[in-house]
Amino acid sequence: MKSKTYLKIFFIIIAIIGSIAIIYTNYFARHYPLPLTSRISFDAKIKFIRDKIDPDKIDTLIVGSSLGLNNIQGTVLEESSSVIKNVLNLSVYGARATQVEQILELSDAFPNLKRIIYSAQYSDFAHARYYDKTNYEAELIIKYIRNELNPIKSWKIMFNACKDIFFCMKRQMDWEVKHTYNNKFEYLGFDSTGSVPLHIYGDDIIGHRWRGPQPNIQNPKSFSAVDRMSSRAAQKGIKYYLIQQPYRGPLAKENEFVQAALNWFAKKNIQVLKKNGGYFVSLHEKLNLGDKYFADRTHLNDQGSELVAREIAKIIDLNEGK
Amino acid sequence: MFFNSYEFIFFFLPVTFFIYFYLNKKRLTEASKAFLVFASLFFYSWWNIIYLPLILVSMLVNYTVGRELSTYTSKSRNYSPKMILGVGIVFNLALLGYFKYADFFITNLNKVFHSEVSLLNLALPLAISFYTFQQIAYLVDSYRKETKEYDFLNYAVFVTFFPQLIAGPIVHHSEMMPQFAQLKNKVKNYHNIALGLFIFSLGLFKKVIIADSFAVWATQGFDVAEQLNMLEAWVTSLSYSFQLYFDFSGYTDMAIGIALLFNIKIPMNFFSPYKATNIQDFWRRWHITLSRFLKEYLYIPLGGNRKGEIRTYANLFTTFLLGGIWHGAGWTFVLWGALHGFALVIHRAWKKLGFKMNTFLAWFITFNFINIAWVFFRALNFESAIKVLKGMFFGELIISSSVINYYEGIKEFGWRFGNWSTLYETENYLYLWFIAVFIIVLFLPNSMQLKNKFKTNLFFMTLTILFFLSIFMLYRKSEFIYFNF
Repeated sequence: MKSKTYLKIFFIIIAIIGSIAIIYTNYFARHYPLPLTSRISFDAKIKFIRDKIDPDKIDTLIVGSSLGLNNIQGTVLEESSSVIKNVLNLSVYGARATQVEQILELSDAFPNLKRIIYSAQYSDFAHARYYDKTNYEAELIIKYIRNELNPIKSWKIMFNACKDIFFCMKRQMDWEVKHTYNNKFEYLGFDSTGSVPLHIYGDDIIGHRWRGPQPNIQNPKSFSAVDRMSSRAAQKGIKYYLIQQPYRGPLAKENEFVQAALNWFAKKNIQVLKKNGGYFVSLHEKLNLGDKYFADRTHLNDQGSELVAREIAKIIDLNEGK
Repeated sequence: MFFNSYEFIFFFLPVTFFIYFYLNKKRLTEASKAFLVFASLFFYSWWNIIYLPLILVSMLVNYTVGRELSTYTSKSRNYSPKMILGVGIVFNLALLGYFKYADFFITNLNKVFHSEVSLLNLALPLAISFYTFQQIAYLVDSYRKETKEYDFLNYAVFVTFFPQLIAGPIVHHSEMMPQFAQLKNKVKNYHNIALGLFIFSLGLFKKVIIADSFAVWATQGFDVAEQLNMLEAWVTSLSYSFQLYFDFSGYTDMAIGIALLFNIKIPMNFFSPYKATNIQDFWRRWHITLSRFLKEYLYIPLGGNRKGEIRTYANLFTTFLLGGIWHGAGWTFVLWGALHGFALVIHRAWKKLGFKMNTFLAWFITFNFINIAWVFFRALNFESAIKVLKGMFFGELIISSSVINYYEGIKEFGWRFGNWSTLYETENYLYLWFIAVFIIVLFLPNSMQLKNKFKTNLFFMTLTILFFLSIFMLYRKSEFIYFNF
């Protein structure tokens, strides 16, 4: 083959591959969560907000780990409360208290925010972990979810996110299998508020998650994060509720350390929130839910998360005077 | 700017290529050279423009001294060319010494005399070791009247030509300048472009896919783990041996490929070094242009093998000791150089005594010696080196539980079974990587052999495209190891 012809064919093939990569990236960005942070549920949430939420309408944010994502149904909260109009569940699987504090940097994207509901349990306070700043740039994400970036910057974000195109392809392949079944703990089918109610019953319950309590490790940095979050909310005139999620009763009864952990969690948070004017509510005590509402030791199934949402609505309505 | 970056591959390289040949097409050959120098300095300054004045000063001084040497006639001067050469070499070594070794010297001085001289904390100017050596070679060649007189622009092209500026290969004035002068090299050569793209893509693949994968495991073992069991330690040291080879030879391939786009042939720097069956053979295959420099400008001037056997050993040892120091200001580099010097002395003595060895055994010993010596080369300090070496030879041997299913019998030896590594527990396909990479380095043709076989046919096009697909992994952007030297 003549060298010139060889090069022509070579560059045509490279151009075709490049074009396919660009088209694929576009397709991926439209249908799947771009890898912007290090957590798929966070990425999915960012895409969800950008595609489906009007940030100016949001008055209530639910934050937390899976205990925020799975344990409170935002739609039920909206229906049941007379003060809550538009809920966004901004919770992310696996988010520790310190990471929730980072997630709340995004609250600036919602100018009409009136309340934050942090849904947690002592297990969320075990370790002080942080999102890597190289993967999480709050200011940029705020503009991104508000669709305030110019097309070039949006494209740049898209291509930066899909620089590792094989990762995007893998994510696409995994998506269907891992995240579209509501009987799995990786489920990411958001309701209209971004909550993820789980339909885990019977055989879908995972034994060790059902039976094994989490160790009582509560890092002081987690309480400091609550202190800062509630203080910042107070400064902005936003109400801050910390909801302690229910824990399976039999586990608390059988294991002294679980009861001690639940008590310590409540006691410390009440102390912290007292000075900043936040509200602490233990739904573990208040609802005393039976096993039929649980998907594991502390995650609730869709029946449980509905009950929790109704109870929170009641509390907020009472507290906010309607 | 890294060769393995989008800005280089999709912006800098094509733009420089097209402007350079456009200027040549318009017969603006001087302008094309000036543009190439400008582009190269832009490429160099991309990291940190603060380094730019230093390389410019170094070039100006060396050019002046070199010109003085090449035009020297005894009638008009009252100083000898040796003195001029001395001044030039001292200037270069002082520059290198100040920027690279000052803090090392002060630290040791403080330790010995219990003094508290403050460190200079100077950032090592990029490529200083390479352009200093290249220019020392130029001065010596000028002293030997082996250089023709060129103007500063030509000289600047020789020093700054961006493919080889940062980490070599270390080139001779005489092998570069005639190429820039040849008229046929000023027009696009499609065969060279095709070949250049192939070699560049191959280098990109070596760096991005192989070296950067091994880098993760090497870093885990050297910098993260506090203690290593036997298998982890071997994984760590072998990972670094492969990382270094594929990183540096990948860089060199990319440099050779890029230079070919401009019709410039850069000498090869690697020739399957891990196939070496003795240490001398290794240095004929590894960083060939450095070995050539050390031989021509250090070993031979020291007397080479012309002054008796003992002196030859001393010269060999000294050359490699200094070669070690050239790589970095640290005692680990000194020890690494000394180990290689010592090994070369032993090899020479062995040969002199007429001993022979089975080829496989010779390879095995050579490879393991090199691998062990790299531990000192890579380790940030002696503690880290000892941690890895201790693991390699005295660490606990834990055999993967999965092996028991196949070889029940080995239970009897009293080895521990379980999770063979806590450091690499998610990396079970490590085995496959090592098998693949041993096959590559020991049995497959190297880049230079492939370069010689290259034809513009479907096979090589497919290979080029497959290698070029490494651009999809450029998100793992990482520096080349030899940028630090």
